[in-house]
Amino acid sequence: MDLTSVKGLTLSNTETIPGRRIVEFFGVVTGNTVRAKHIGRDIMAGLKNVVGGELKGYTELLQESRQEAIERMAEQARSMGANAVVNVRFATSSIAQGASELFAYGTAVRVE
Amino acid sequence: MEMLNLIVQFGLPLVVLVVAYVIGAYLERRHFRSIREREKSLQGFPVTTFAAMPASWRVGTSRLVSGSVVVSLDYFKRVIAGLRAIVGGRIKTYEPLLDRARREAVLRMLEEARGAGFDAVINVRLETSRLANSSGDGNGTAGVEMLAFGTAVTLDRPQ
Amino acid sequence: MKFTPRQPREDVNVSKEHPLVEAGTLIAGLGLILVAILVALVFLVELVLYFVPAEKEAQMFASWSPGDLVSVSYDDERLEQVESLLARLARHWPESQYPLRLEIHDSPAINALALPGGLIVVTRGLLDSVESENELAFVIGHELGHFRNRDHIRGLGRGIAFGILFAAISSTEGSAALGVSLADLTLRGFSRRQEAAADRFGLRIVHREYGHVADAWRFFERIDRSMDEFADMVGYLSTHPSPKNRVRSMIEDAGENGWSISGELTGLEW
Repeated sequence: MDLTSVKGLTLSNTETIPGRRIVEFFGVVTGNTVRAKHIGRDIMAGLKNVVGGELKGYTELLQESRQEAIERMAEQARSMGANAVVNVRFATSSIAQGASELFAYGTAVRVE
Repeated sequence: MEMLNLIVQFGLPLVVLVVAYVIGAYLERRHFRSIREREKSLQGFPVTTFAAMPASWRVGTSRLVSGSVVVSLDYFKRVIAGLRAIVGGRIKTYEPLLDRARREAVLRMLEEARGAGFDAVINVRLETSRLANSSGDGNGTAGVEMLAFGTAVTLDRPQ
Repeated sequence: MKFTPRQPREDVNVSKEHPLVEAGTLIAGLGLILVAILVALVFLVELVLYFVPAEKEAQMFASWSPGDLVSVSYDDERLEQVESLLARLARHWPESQYPLRLEIHDSPAINALALPGGLIVVTRGLLDSVESENELAFVIGHELGHFRNRDHIRGLGRGIAFGILFAAISSTEGSAALGVSLADLTLRGFSRRQEAAADRFGLRIVHREYGHVADAWRFFERIDRSMDEFADMVGYLSTHPSPKNRVRSMIEDAGENGWSISGELTGLEW
């Protein structure tokens, strides 16, 4: 997963983009997605849970979701005419049984 | 007697489903309308997720502000979400709920800031948490809380 | 750095698909999968039936008597007569591989059961209510039909398989009661066809024994009269076809085979 640049936008989780100056900012942008794995994966994860270790199905699920959340956030930023999103933060939460929400937000800015 | 049982077993959930869909869809439309209006009235109110400010801003006072909302999915969409969880993939019925809840939380934070005479909110953070229902097994009513918080500032000479 | 107020595009975080469209797709898709699994289970049960022939089943259940299901009334003096009736009727089904046994269940309910291993159970209530031997002969013939078609094992197998399937589905949905009633409804659809087939076999046996089929369905006519007006509606959903429909199709069946529907009735000795 490439976090440095999505849809032509520069992303950063610091207040600035190192080496570049923020010219203007437009406001907060958000991206979110809710996903679930199919029931087979849930059952496999349940079995894997007995012995512990990485739950590959869920690692994948969260990665895919996070990617989509970022893309949606970037889409919002682009619609505002920004070329970068700074101070990006992620929030993951389980909102229902087997379903997790991946949420990304940041400030849409225009850098030099 | 048997007919009555059948009606109770299959008819009643169906009626609840239809009622939940109709009323849920209406409430959702109404909420989105209200959110759009309030967002429009707040346009021009600066919000950022970082602490840096334009050089021209001269901060007077500051204060922590927050806004939160707990929401829950209607029965119809919950059933659809349950079916979707079998197949996997994007649970689309949850998206409008989370979207409007988050915007509502941000709006409440901004309205609090504006109401108290502040000019901007900086360093905004957004949190989501699931409230377990009493049975604790993940079934039944489970609300989601959206929380937005940040630092409200007054500007001596907003640009 | 300066601030330029702008609104992001609104529809980014919300999918455009209408919830009703999603609901339709999901229900149709999952319904298809469910039907496929049900068909596979039915096939599996048939496979088991094929690999466990009747004589093997009879061996397995030779001395089996479901104590929790049947409280046998040994002192009922009618047992001997019913047993001899069964023996007479069984002669008309020489291919039978079951060592047929019969017990009287001490219950006022009107019922008869075909159980694994060739065990027929009739209730005391049934014996009390029948008015001629012909009536009772048809009930026993009907149970023999279940043995011939092996419905007793089929019903058991499907019951277990469907029960587990629907319980598993509904536990993910959080409503076990709905799963149980769905399994029940699905099974009923199957079992009504089996009942009709057993009726035809029973009628044939009765005709061979008495030379006519008079009074064979009198039993159902009596039940029909004692049922309330919902009988017709419930007929679509119950395990057995409604008494009215059964009688109608049996009269048709008799007509097609040219069996006389009137004749001398054989009395009962109690």
